[in-house]
Amino acid sequence: MPAALRIAGKDLKLRARDRSVFIIGIGAPLLLAFIFDLIFGGAFGAGGLTLEYGLVDEDRSEVSSAFSSVLDDLQDQQILTIQTFPDTDSARSAVEDGDLDAFFLIEAGFGQEVAIGSPQIGVVGDIDAPTATQIAGAIADQFSTGVEATKLAILTTAGVAGVPPTPEFITSLEGDPSSAAFTFQLTDESAATRQLDSTTYYAVGMAIFFMFFTVQFGVIGLLEEEREGTLTRLFAAPISRWSVVLGKAILSFALGFVSMSVLVIATSLLMGADWGPPLGVILLVLAAVAAGTGLMGMVASFARTPEGAGNLGAIIAVTLGLLGGVFFPLGQGEDLLSKLSLITPHAWFIRGLSDIAGGAAWTAAIPSTLALLGFAMVTGTLGWMLMRRRLRR
Amino acid sequence: MKALAIAGINVRRLFRDRSNIFFVFVFPIALILLIGAQFGGGIDPILGVNDDAGGSISDAIVDQLQSIDAVDVAIYDDLDALTSAVERGHANAGVFLPAGMDQAAATGNPVEISFVVRPDGFGPQLRSVIGAAVAEVMKPVGAARFASLESGARFDETLESARALAIGDPGITINVSTLGEALFPESLGRFDLGASQQLVLFVFITALSGSAALILTRQLGVSKRMLSTPTPVGTILIGESLGRFGVALVQGIYIMAATLLVFGVDWGDPLGALLILVAFSAVGAGAAMLMGSVFSNDQQAGGVSIMASLGLAALGGAMVPIELFSPTLQRVAHLTPHAWAIDAFAELVRRGGTVVDILPELGVLSLYAVVLLSLAAWRLRVVITRS
Repeated sequence: MPAALRIAGKDLKLRARDRSVFIIGIGAPLLLAFIFDLIFGGAFGAGGLTLEYGLVDEDRSEVSSAFSSVLDDLQDQQILTIQTFPDTDSARSAVEDGDLDAFFLIEAGFGQEVAIGSPQIGVVGDIDAPTATQIAGAIADQFSTGVEATKLAILTTAGVAGVPPTPEFITSLEGDPSSAAFTFQLTDESAATRQLDSTTYYAVGMAIFFMFFTVQFGVIGLLEEEREGTLTRLFAAPISRWSVVLGKAILSFALGFVSMSVLVIATSLLMGADWGPPLGVILLVLAAVAAGTGLMGMVASFARTPEGAGNLGAIIAVTLGLLGGVFFPLGQGEDLLSKLSLITPHAWFIRGLSDIAGGAAWTAAIPSTLALLGFAMVTGTLGWMLMRRRLRR
Repeated sequence: MKALAIAGINVRRLFRDRSNIFFVFVFPIALILLIGAQFGGGIDPILGVNDDAGGSISDAIVDQLQSIDAVDVAIYDDLDALTSAVERGHANAGVFLPAGMDQAAATGNPVEISFVVRPDGFGPQLRSVIGAAVAEVMKPVGAARFASLESGARFDETLESARALAIGDPGITINVSTLGEALFPESLGRFDLGASQQLVLFVFITALSGSAALILTRQLGVSKRMLSTPTPVGTILIGESLGRFGVALVQGIYIMAATLLVFGVDWGDPLGALLILVAFSAVGAGAAMLMGSVFSNDQQAGGVSIMASLGLAALGGAMVPIELFSPTLQRVAHLTPHAWAIDAFAELVRRGGTVVDILPELGVLSLYAVVLLSLAAWRLRVVITRS
């Protein structure tokens, strides 16, 4: 054991002198997380949608002011913001300038048309805000349906009674026909948040992505010793062969752990990333580094040269990283791609941190930690067995 | 031509390493495919739906939701899966249509629908979308219930007449229209935007990672041995630059051809597209030569190459379209050659431009190439002739 530690220590000194490990382990992930966060902003993480609408009411009837009060209610619930405009031109230019996502247009005569005729509500939206425009359409639609339901309730009652729907008939009704619109209730079931905000997402994604490259510096050292002939000399020394392999694995693990820890602290302090409860983060980082060391150890065990191991490792790390969603989340809902992404340690790491993001206790990280450890066990054991066969020869 | 021989050996060295075949030829196409599949159709909010009721009214509500363009509907098997999807952000909000809902509606009782939302997402904004769909389906039910209460007639009878009357009523029309010119025209194919971005990203990565090979050439003393032969320094410099340039150009042409054949990507005017690629490959070669002359450790250069090429690509609009940047960031973006190349492709593809229209962009790219290559030549001449 001390021999393994001494070998790891010697390699650590070598790696520290050659500054590549700092570039790959700390510089690159930190810089890229910062740039990605700056560029992608809120594109992929948890975040809200703001709806900025305008209203042009040329009608000023009872019905149009009812619509206006519906919009005011939604504004009070902080679902949207609404501004009134005196005419269509001013509202149009507000949309064109990007100040509004869309505006509602109620033309003069709308109130009369509702009673008899073909009433219309216009929704004019910014072509580059399709979602906000469609939601505005849905809001107008829901209001219209309420008006229609009222009308339909009156007509149906009159039809059943066999009388025309005259104003006298309407006033003779006992109930309020507009109550007919309230036939359903949408009850909010609040869900917890198990998703990272976008800054943390990129900090986490880049940290796990580059960790797979960082741990390579350890295990590939074994192949370098093999090529340079120093491995046979080490074997001639009175230490077990396994101490040599273990030394390289310890170095990999240490490099991975140190670089990840530096990244956790640096992204928290410099970028305001929120990694969650420390105990959960430590568990996930340890398990992820073990998975990285196992995988790259396996790669090293069947590569012929250090360059070959580096290149194969890069292919695997890039493919798994992409599938695991370190650049952008892959797949939607329960489709094949999102299931496929769960074969990668990257996805489990992100998932584990997401589970503890919304204020959950550190224990919520346990399932993902176990998945990562399982990955480490499988790849580590395979790597160990293959390396054993190779070194016996 | 000795320079061509040096260039040739560089290209051969690259492709001897099979992993480079993956990064140069396989990976870019796979990425274009993935990005096209993921984002090509635009990103609409996703509404998760769990139809536990399974009756005619709940079916009608699901149909109504699916007919809305603004949201994508994803069906989940149970409430737990739906809740978990909302929590993880796979769906922006969820609708749970409980069992017994149809029965409640059929007897004229109000139905309760659960709306699964997260405090931080934009679920509340989707509430109106769901409200509109449900209200539409429930309209005759409400009218029938009212009529039944008023007249004492049986609910199923009033429901029948309400449904008949609802068909005859055109109701209020909602006219949705849009203003302005779309940032990305409808005619833009699913893979079109991503293809030119990925082309720029990969051509630069490949060129820049060639800097490590240049450092190895110097480390192993190959450049010194070349100098000991009757070969002028200039020839060696030209040869090494041509090698990097050739690899970048080959990859670029491959990506253009493959995306054209496989995904039907429109590259616009062929001559213009080729000129952009040539200019951009020269920029990449220049950057690689400069890096290969400044660094003396190939692993360090490799790390910096990845960092610089991904960082510049992100800043230059090769990951997220530059049109979505803030005005300040757009100016910063134009410090990168990537932004100029992408602008030029956009001019060809989206606005149907020709070579004349992209002359400014080609000029800027050529300037980059000349500056980088001269700096590199000066630096490299110093390093390889130093004893």
